[in-house]
Amino acid sequence: MRILLIEDDERLVESLGARLREAGYALDVSTDGIEGLYAGEEFPVDLAIVDLGLPGLNGLEVIRRLRQRGRDFPILILTARSGWQDKVEGLEAGADDYLTKPFQVEELMARINALLRRASGHARPQISLGPFLVDLSAQRLLRGDTEIELTGYEYKVLEYLVLHPDTVVTRSELSEHIYEEDADRDSNVIEVFIGRLRRKLDPDGSLNPIETLRGRGYRLALAVTS
Amino acid sequence: MPVLVLALGLVGLAVSSANHRGALSALELRMQSYVYTVLAAMEVDPSGAFEVASDFADPLLLQPGSGLYVQVSGSGGEWRSPSALGVDLPAPRPVSAGISEFLEPAAGGAYFIYRYGIGWQQEEGGITPFTVSVLVHGDEIRQQTGAFRKGLWQSLALAGVILVLAQVLTVFVVLRPLRRVEQDVARVESGRAERLPEGYPPELEPLARNVNRLLETEKSNQQRIRHALDSLAHSLKTPMAVLQAGLPLHGGKAERSMQNALDEMQHLVATRLERAGGSARRTLAAPVPVKHHLERIVESLHKVHSHKMIGCELKLEPDLQFFGEERDLLELAGNLLDNAFKYGSENVAVSGGVNGADRARPGIWLRVEDDGPGMPPERRDALLQRGVRGDERVEGHGLGLAIVQELVDAYGGEVTIENSAMGGAAVEVRLPPS
Repeated sequence: MRILLIEDDERLVESLGARLREAGYALDVSTDGIEGLYAGEEFPVDLAIVDLGLPGLNGLEVIRRLRQRGRDFPILILTARSGWQDKVEGLEAGADDYLTKPFQVEELMARINALLRRASGHARPQISLGPFLVDLSAQRLLRGDTEIELTGYEYKVLEYLVLHPDTVVTRSELSEHIYEEDADRDSNVIEVFIGRLRRKLDPDGSLNPIETLRGRGYRLALAVTS
Repeated sequence: MPVLVLALGLVGLAVSSANHRGALSALELRMQSYVYTVLAAMEVDPSGAFEVASDFADPLLLQPGSGLYVQVSGSGGEWRSPSALGVDLPAPRPVSAGISEFLEPAAGGAYFIYRYGIGWQQEEGGITPFTVSVLVHGDEIRQQTGAFRKGLWQSLALAGVILVLAQVLTVFVVLRPLRRVEQDVARVESGRAERLPEGYPPELEPLARNVNRLLETEKSNQQRIRHALDSLAHSLKTPMAVLQAGLPLHGGKAERSMQNALDEMQHLVATRLERAGGSARRTLAAPVPVKHHLERIVESLHKVHSHKMIGCELKLEPDLQFFGEERDLLELAGNLLDNAFKYGSENVAVSGGVNGADRARPGIWLRVEDDGPGMPPERRDALLQRGVRGDERVEGHGLGLAIVQELVDAYGGEVTIENSAMGGAAVEVRLPPS
């Protein structure tokens, strides 16, 4: 999942960025409102974290314009302004949630998780995928009581597919949402991750959990229910 | 008023005394002229005997008891004008030639007397002395000056009445704009107007301008202070967020104590610093429509807690208004409702009404209830107890209720927590009239 962080405090960007990347998110960072608005409009963002007091263009305006231009990914406001007046105005401008500084990083992670889940129509973090259970908040894959070990990128590919069920997801789409804007992308690597995921989910080749549609992309073949 | 009476009295006295003096000098002239009239009709023979031809044109000298009498006395006898027939006149008193005297009636005397001493030049060279006395009965002058005085005092009294009426009218007309100012200030005070309107008389314009300037200064000072405190709070929070982001969730003892210190700082910033900006409540703030803002909060909370599908019922007295800061109302309702949405399982109810309806700027009460697990009594006390440190407060409801408590304290109101009939907590806030 790809997150856009629009925040002007570089120390916070640094420490928070490290935690988000650690948690497996592809992260784009903008340190002012105008750049942030551009990134929000142009990049395939899954969620944006927006500070309100931004140089260039204030956060409320960034949110308003993103919504005006039809961008409907979840937006989380992260700000030092804790008053309800600011919260209400932010939510009225089109944000989906609000977290005030200082915050526990775990709280932020939980909110991000919930917003991403809600955006794909899941009310709870546990999603069943055929015989498997994907726990979006713990980032784990279980079959019965047994956890199936996944690497960070394998999990990210699976998560993206689970949050976009019944959809054909192209290789470039996957790489866009898993890698940051300036990362050195190689869509062949996606093929490698898909291959490893197939082997881990279906070691004896009986389930065919991920279909390949030649020249188009991938689609989950297992039923996804929350 | 007494000044007016005194002034009119002095004017009356001055005019009446001037008139009296004028009347006397006119009388003296008139009496002098009778002296000449009589002298012109007088014949004196060398022995000093004399006679006066009594064919005067003036009937006052002829008609007996007319009030005007002339006496001529000299060595050759005494003559009286025909008008003195049968009138008892004081005895004549000789005056030396060339001397005249004018006497007002003595005590008990009835006449003004003008005496003129003459020396009659005889053809053969001798001089015969005479004294001509003209007497005028005092009643004549007394009637004259009395009539004048009466007229004078009547006119002055009339003038006084007119002046008093004019004064009353002037005071009324002059004070009318002041009464308008009074009403307009009362409107500002009760929050029905933000400033004094235009259109006062020119004398009052500067006053209205200054009052408006004062109101604006107060407003901008308030905004400045709030701004300064806000930006202080905000600039503290980002470094705190950096510290927080650097702390691992399950650290050792040192990390835990840093976490506690951070929590306490956060609590202080949220309850003290930020409220210090908000609780400086303006007595003249315009009323805030409660329903509209509660609906905004509820809509926002539906968005934030969209996974919970909470039903929220809003029961407010119609046209409920809050006489305070909009942001304080949002803060109160936001924190109360946020807790209710957080802890309620399906339903939240908000009710509210006027507190002290008979007052110009009544207070309000708000009650927020949910069907969640509720709060045990010992927790309620801990939550509402002042001076409890952040890390000693109960988690969850804590910070929100602490902010509510601070705000309500600033308004001089009270917070009560009880069990709701819906099963969860019921938090009620009562703010007094301002």
